[in-house]
Amino acid sequence: MSKKIKVATTSLAGCFGCHMSFLDIDERLLELLELVEFDRSPLTDIKTCGPCDLGIIEGGVCNAENVHVLREFRKNCKILVAIGACAINGGLPAQRNQFDLRDILEEVYHTSVGLTQGSDIPNDPELPLPLNKVHPIHEVVKIDYFLPGCPPPADAIWKFLTDLIAGRTPKLGHGLLHYD
Amino acid sequence: MSFELETAKLSDKLRRVAIEPVSRVEGHGKVTILLDDDDKVHQVRLHIVEFRGFEKFIQGRPYWEVPVMVQRLCGICPVSHHLAASKALDIVVGAAQLTPTAEKVRRLMHYGQILQSHALHFFHLSSPDLLFGFESEVGKRNIVGVVTAYPDIAKKGVLLRKFGQEIIRITAGKRVHGTGSIPGGVNKSLTREDRDFLLKDAYQMVSWSREAVQLIKQLHRQNPALYDVFGSFRANMMSLVAPDGGLDFYHGALRARDADGKIIFDQVDYQGYAELLSEGVKPWSYMKFPFITALGEEDGWYKVGPLARVQNCDHIPTPLADAERNELVAYGKGTPLGATLAYHWARMIEMLFAAETIKDLLHDDDLMGDDLVVSGEHQREGIGVIEAPRGTLIHHYRVGDDDLVTMANLIVSTTHNNQAMNVAIREVAKRYLDGKKLTEGLLNHIEVAIRAFDPCLSCATHALGKMPLEVTLQDADGNVLDRLAKIPHGDS
Amino acid sequence: MKPSDNSPSATLSIDGEEISFTKGQSILQAALAAGKYIPHLCYHPEFRPNGSCKLCTVTINGRPGASCTAQAEAGQTVESDTPEINDKRRTLLQMLLVEGNHFCPSCEKSGNCMLQALAYALGVMSPHFPQIFPVRLVDASHPEILLDFNRCILCEICVRASDEVDHKNVFAFSGRGITKHLIVNSESGRLADTDFLSTDKAAQVCPVGVILRKRKGFTSPIGSRRFDVKPINEQMERIAEPVGKTSGGSSP
Repeated sequence: MSKKIKVATTSLAGCFGCHMSFLDIDERLLELLELVEFDRSPLTDIKTCGPCDLGIIEGGVCNAENVHVLREFRKNCKILVAIGACAINGGLPAQRNQFDLRDILEEVYHTSVGLTQGSDIPNDPELPLPLNKVHPIHEVVKIDYFLPGCPPPADAIWKFLTDLIAGRTPKLGHGLLHYD
Repeated sequence: MSFELETAKLSDKLRRVAIEPVSRVEGHGKVTILLDDDDKVHQVRLHIVEFRGFEKFIQGRPYWEVPVMVQRLCGICPVSHHLAASKALDIVVGAAQLTPTAEKVRRLMHYGQILQSHALHFFHLSSPDLLFGFESEVGKRNIVGVVTAYPDIAKKGVLLRKFGQEIIRITAGKRVHGTGSIPGGVNKSLTREDRDFLLKDAYQMVSWSREAVQLIKQLHRQNPALYDVFGSFRANMMSLVAPDGGLDFYHGALRARDADGKIIFDQVDYQGYAELLSEGVKPWSYMKFPFITALGEEDGWYKVGPLARVQNCDHIPTPLADAERNELVAYGKGTPLGATLAYHWARMIEMLFAAETIKDLLHDDDLMGDDLVVSGEHQREGIGVIEAPRGTLIHHYRVGDDDLVTMANLIVSTTHNNQAMNVAIREVAKRYLDGKKLTEGLLNHIEVAIRAFDPCLSCATHALGKMPLEVTLQDADGNVLDRLAKIPHGDS
Repeated sequence: MKPSDNSPSATLSIDGEEISFTKGQSILQAALAAGKYIPHLCYHPEFRPNGSCKLCTVTINGRPGASCTAQAEAGQTVESDTPEINDKRRTLLQMLLVEGNHFCPSCEKSGNCMLQALAYALGVMSPHFPQIFPVRLVDASHPEILLDFNRCILCEICVRASDEVDHKNVFAFSGRGITKHLIVNSESGRLADTDFLSTDKAAQVCPVGVILRKRKGFTSPIGSRRFDVKPINEQMERIAEPVGKTSGGSSP
């Protein structure tokens, strides 16, 4: 019996929509589970990524912790896929790039009138430092494949995975390639 | 204002254990625990570690973009935001009353979303803990394990979710992040084929939802020592209720009860939410801490979501779900249930209510009507509130005469539950972790408590906006010396 | 048809296929008329060609050239749909996509946008280059028309339309190189301070989501938008649709 393909997934600065779209393969999930097993993923309780064949990353990088996780994935996954608008071009979280980060934080936690006594910008060391700008993940590590969409439709994810598992170069046609 | 186990004294003498990330929830959270050398717990906190800044970058965008943009805060419950924003903007475009078709299409979309979200949460995310045990083998404790050990349950979960997603696809245009709801109405209605396609499975979904309620009740009955006690705490609760006090996810007025079930406020028009609720900030989480202003930060926090809704309302308008609700309420023997795991029971009752409502709604030919949008005299401000799967969701916008957004304020469901979740995990830590050597399974107990709330931590990260706050200055005798209200203006 | 120079039934070969053309047509016009799609963004059949976007680049007898400005001549051997040329077209599209703020997920032009449709047709899967995230303006001063400069690709069609058809000269370019941008010809720079009307030709021709009719966004459901039904390379007619119509639906 051939070994199952090990797949790890994560959502960095993403909304989880790409993971939901993945689950939109519905009953095909049962078929897929014959071929793959999951390592670190929001769907499992494995908290760190071990050596994997395939890593699927949703979401761009918006803080230091995202970068750390992204690098862990690149180190451990043979093939790394950026899925969804956020991972590929920054997506919704990157809409804050037009503004200065300090201005945003100051406006809410510092200069507003009438906040409860002692309010300040949350600064506990447990909170990862936000990045100045939100970035697509290919600007941080090498990405092997891109699956666009917001989110990519389940049929596109299915086509992509089945192509990849069969050793073909994944190709999306009309109706499967979307940016919205 | 600090609570028990929120801030340890002498934290530098304690060691830190982190649960990072919290798994099988939507979004990013982490829990830190501080313990002393005797393994006694001194501090437990749930941190929300990311923010988006939506309320800032939506400013300057045209108002009709908002429902399509704001839903991208979350991939599980985008429809909630899509509709809450639409309801707020209905007021802005002067659509006091939607057409019957528009309202029913939106209702179908929303109830379809409740069904799929609750199914996902129970079957895909939570069932592994409930079926296998909190300390069961890590490798199996996930949806894959459920597929292997309980294929029938897993399949029904997948198909229940699929049905909800198909409803969303048909009404919104896509399963995730559609465009169906627009200010003043909707952009499409159902074709006869769509309606028949959905109706053919609708009765099966009611049946399977009933089975899900039986399942959770069975699990509850098999282990009352766990289910009645785990993460149990007293809390106020808040939700929307229909004019007759019944449960309604799409529209209603605000009601809150205290931990004994006594009314705090009732049938309050949600346009006045800013007078009812305030928010506190703590340095260790980006998510704020809402509370009922009149009760103060220490006593005014509350919970939202299924367990609050089902007990806050007077009845459920569909028969099967209503019967189940009566059973849940009776179980409490006169006091609202405070056990965290009862959330799952309430959630499955809501899923049944959604399935029954969908089945009824699909018989209504208005769904296939042509009259989709209304508009009237434009206003400058609008507030939309809806019951999302996870709880009460508040959207508040101001729009300039040039049609660009000038202010946005969101209070999302999970934010309301911030304090409640922290209290639940501290309860669990005290009862199950105190004095013990921490294992992965024990740490999972903390996560089980968080999961029960079905938190949407991505939604919680939207924050960065102008929260309406009121601060009251009181002297030692409780006399009010001063009161400051910050109601956000576009310019202050 | 006997091929002979300058006769109405002269032919040229494009990607190995003989097509006829009439004197005066550009290669692009000849190709589109014959049902052979060549990607283009800054070309509009009602105005003189610009030759700036370079997406319509083909090889003509072995030499690269813009097919929108090159005259069709008998006997030409034109290559368009080759891997090398399409590769370069993808790079051009990627450069356009990172230069502005093309946030498709919440853009009301999505599904009716030529830039997006071309990127789909050519299979652009990633931006490749780092995103620039420029700070660009939104001009909502006009009562009926919104200008969102985040999406401007400098195709210049609105400039030509406002000049050649409306005779109003509302739009112009300013700046050079990476700072080149579209401006409004009024002292304040705002559209409200011009004589621009939503019935102007210039209000109808934007191929992307810059010049938009207010309050009409997202009235066309997903699945019914122009490029949901057929990809851009199967739609030969002029694709920039009138801004006045509800977005999506039938072609003008």
